[in-house]
Amino acid sequence: MSKEYDREFEKKFQETTRLGLEVVKESEEDRLMTLSVGPQHPGSGHFRFTIKVDGDYIVYCDPDPGYVHRGEEKMSEYRNFIQNIPHLERPVIHDSTNITYSYSLAVEELLGVEVPRRGQFIRAIASELNRQVYTLYWLAIYGIFLGHSTMFMWPAGDRELFIDLLTALSGARVTHAYNIPGGVRNDAPDGFKEKCLQYVKYFEKRLVEYEDIFYNNPLFRQRTENVGVLTKEDAINLGVTGSVLRASGIPHDIRKVEPYDVYDEIDFKVQYMKTCDSFARAYVPFLDMRESCNIIKQLLDKMPDSGEVRLKLQSNPKGQPGESYKRVESGRGALGYYIVSDGSPKPYRVKISVGSFRNILALPHLLVGSKLGDMPSIYWALNYWPVEADR
Amino acid sequence: MAPSIIKKKKTATGFIKAIESGSKHLLLKRFTLRFPEQKLKFVGDGYQFDPKRGVGIAGARGRHILFHEKCTGCQLCAITCEGIAEAIGMVKITEKWKQNKKGIMPQIDYGKCVFCGLCVDACPFYALFMTNDFELSSFTKEHLIYTPAQLAVKPKYDGSVDIKIDKRGAWHG
Amino acid sequence: MATAPKEFRFGNFVASIVWLVFWILVIVTLVVLPLIFVILFFVPLPYAGDEVLTPYLFFSMMVDPTRTVPIIDFLIHTDLFRAAIFPGFAYAAIIAAATIYIERKFLAKMQLRTGPLYAGRFEGILQLIADGFKLISKEVIIPSGADKPLFWATPVIFVATAAAATALIPVAPGWVASNLDVGILAIFAILGFFPLLALLFSWASNSKYPFIGGLRALHQLIAFEIPFILSALPIVLLSGSLNLSEMVESQYLFWFFAVAPISAFVFYISSLAELERVPFDLPEAESEIVAGWLTETSGMIYGLIQLGTYVKLYVLAALFVVLFLGGWMGPQIFPQELIPNYTGEKIYNATVVNGIFWFTLKTFGMIMLILLPRGINPRIRIDILLHTGWYKLIVLAFINIFIVLTLIYGGIITPGGLQ
Repeated sequence: MSKEYDREFEKKFQETTRLGLEVVKESEEDRLMTLSVGPQHPGSGHFRFTIKVDGDYIVYCDPDPGYVHRGEEKMSEYRNFIQNIPHLERPVIHDSTNITYSYSLAVEELLGVEVPRRGQFIRAIASELNRQVYTLYWLAIYGIFLGHSTMFMWPAGDRELFIDLLTALSGARVTHAYNIPGGVRNDAPDGFKEKCLQYVKYFEKRLVEYEDIFYNNPLFRQRTENVGVLTKEDAINLGVTGSVLRASGIPHDIRKVEPYDVYDEIDFKVQYMKTCDSFARAYVPFLDMRESCNIIKQLLDKMPDSGEVRLKLQSNPKGQPGESYKRVESGRGALGYYIVSDGSPKPYRVKISVGSFRNILALPHLLVGSKLGDMPSIYWALNYWPVEADR
Repeated sequence: MAPSIIKKKKTATGFIKAIESGSKHLLLKRFTLRFPEQKLKFVGDGYQFDPKRGVGIAGARGRHILFHEKCTGCQLCAITCEGIAEAIGMVKITEKWKQNKKGIMPQIDYGKCVFCGLCVDACPFYALFMTNDFELSSFTKEHLIYTPAQLAVKPKYDGSVDIKIDKRGAWHG
Repeated sequence: MATAPKEFRFGNFVASIVWLVFWILVIVTLVVLPLIFVILFFVPLPYAGDEVLTPYLFFSMMVDPTRTVPIIDFLIHTDLFRAAIFPGFAYAAIIAAATIYIERKFLAKMQLRTGPLYAGRFEGILQLIADGFKLISKEVIIPSGADKPLFWATPVIFVATAAAATALIPVAPGWVASNLDVGILAIFAILGFFPLLALLFSWASNSKYPFIGGLRALHQLIAFEIPFILSALPIVLLSGSLNLSEMVESQYLFWFFAVAPISAFVFYISSLAELERVPFDLPEAESEIVAGWLTETSGMIYGLIQLGTYVKLYVLAALFVVLFLGGWMGPQIFPQELIPNYTGEKIYNATVVNGIFWFTLKTFGMIMLILLPRGINPRIRIDILLHTGWYKLIVLAFINIFIVLTLIYGGIITPGGLQ
């Protein structure tokens, strides 16, 4: 409250009490209610944000990450390049191939080696399959945040198809430890290509069902169209990445802009939408999934039938002192590793740059001024994975 | 290229298509895997590694199996695991093997193991592989530490259920 | 319970059962039997038909079943039986329990999964009993600063109100627990209690998320009461009375659904909103306000509120059937006499059994229709909800009122049938 207002109010107060009326001063803070959408909330994950609500409108939002910080970057300095793989894939368990893909690319640049061709294809196939797994999980949680229990069960069930493929490929269901500096750890088993094609064809039919029941459902559209609009300039200024950027009209996909491995040989289109609202942010990952099916089919076609998949490196690989930076398009956006090496088998500094942590900057910008009922759709559409953002 | 038109369907057709889609699923088969009665079939016998070629052989990563007639007690698996989960410790064994001069073999603590398989990658003597067996629960933490003799036992895993897809949907059968 | 159980020994088990039987015998002999004799000294034995129901008569009835028929006939037509058991609370509770199980299996099938499977030999049929035991054994946690009398009383009042509404629904000709002349107004009056109960419970919980949930519940339930009542108005016009049994009787030629389909639609949407079911389950929107006004419920309080909700589901589905789908009217498919040429006492009445059959069938169909949107729609937002309730549904209800008025004053239908 400013001083002029107080003085004005005091004058009126004196006047009205002189007339015998009672005046109650309503302060600004009495109207607001502070809610902690905290870690113990079905709608937030391992993350907390404090919001102040005035009636049904949100007037203040303060994200509070850090509940799952485990010091991944510091732990990397005590382990050599190969031993880093199991713990570095833990920040995003569901998308573990992509987070170790970027690491492997950066380390291979430091060591100065190049992965054989079949290995590059298998790495790309595993990365695409894992992208499907993560996006389906994201879609499942998005459905349940909006109260649509069917949209939770269908993607969670269809995800099992891809997890089955990845189990056949790498041996474990979610924490694959499959990418390694030098290639992939083992070759694909027999019959993998036919099984993969069969599942991908079935999945493309399922995507049609998702559209019918969820994306074209008038209730869903009413809830998400023109909600949480993030204009093109704001998106670039806030530095968001991944599907959030592509939903604001900017066709930026790392696989096209800085192609790595074999992505320059694959023909696919970057999916983006111009409407910049929450519906676009929910729809772009769906389009990405459809495009990903095309990419998997092309990769399976073009893969050489036989060849090495892993380079035989020395047991404790070490390269020249130097630094390297590589980025990969993961389910949430650009995932980059910046590794500094000083010639020893252990890295000197590993910096992980994740898409989630940059996307969360858009949360206060979008939530302030919107209704409490829009909170789940805005928050989860920003594709924020709390564990990865805290590393 | 942006999808140029996302047609704004009229409200009634949207609802009718949603109801149609939901009701179609009443006729499809249920997808659930009924776990203790049905178990998934894994590809192959378990994850193995070929040190000569330097590449692994695809398989499920479950419990380890230790071949006593090949292990030389070189400790490479324990050294690898020290940086990951510290789950492998070397213990002295009573039996005498010709190739194992130091008389030590690995024991694995499954309370700490993360099943990454890098110890299998590290073994140069074809002595440590992984198997399909993942049902390792026990009542006490001490029972989770598998001695070399326990690791030599071949597991019995009989999963036979696979995902099948046909006109009536996908199911585990 | 976090302790490891003791080893099971059969001798200890048998000993505990013998101990239990011993104590039951002691208490019955020393306390219960004298109490019965004292009561019978002051209170006369009840009449059953035209005989006094002494214990000797009771035991002789167990031996010769045909002598029980007049007793049962008398008992069935008492008020207590009607209110508590047959068209009243027990019938509603059994249908509510069946509804919970059917809802879980139905949604599971639509979502390509199994639902309850392991409790009971066949596809988890005893799951409800298992859930009931679980809820009874949980601790009821009351937040500090909560208003204790209200916190304990409100769920009980919730169930009681829902049960009171079941007393007005006619299931078969002559079978209704309370045959009021203003039946439909009484039902709306009872259903008007629920917003108040939601608000009281959320206020008594002394916590922020229930507060928001309670306000949302208040807005939602009050907004949809007006279209609810307006959509029942054409039926009153068509049947000429406010009595629910007479409304069913006047549908002997055609169901009122044929003349008032828009009203049926408005009634359906309003009942989805009154029941707080998806897509209108904002008061318990899980991802925004944890569980709305139900957040602080745990243990049996939660169980009571769920029971009340599902009994309310039965009431509204049955009301839809009574108003629009012809109540118990249906072709007579039961034979007039079960045992041909039987001249003794009997309690079987063919029209009544036929009515019960058709009514139950239609109510189950309507319940399935109310369960369907849960598998298809996401949740709606509060401003869209209020816009729908206050603008669109009232307009639609009025359209149908005018249609019905036109048909009546045009001379095509009179109250009670075609002209």
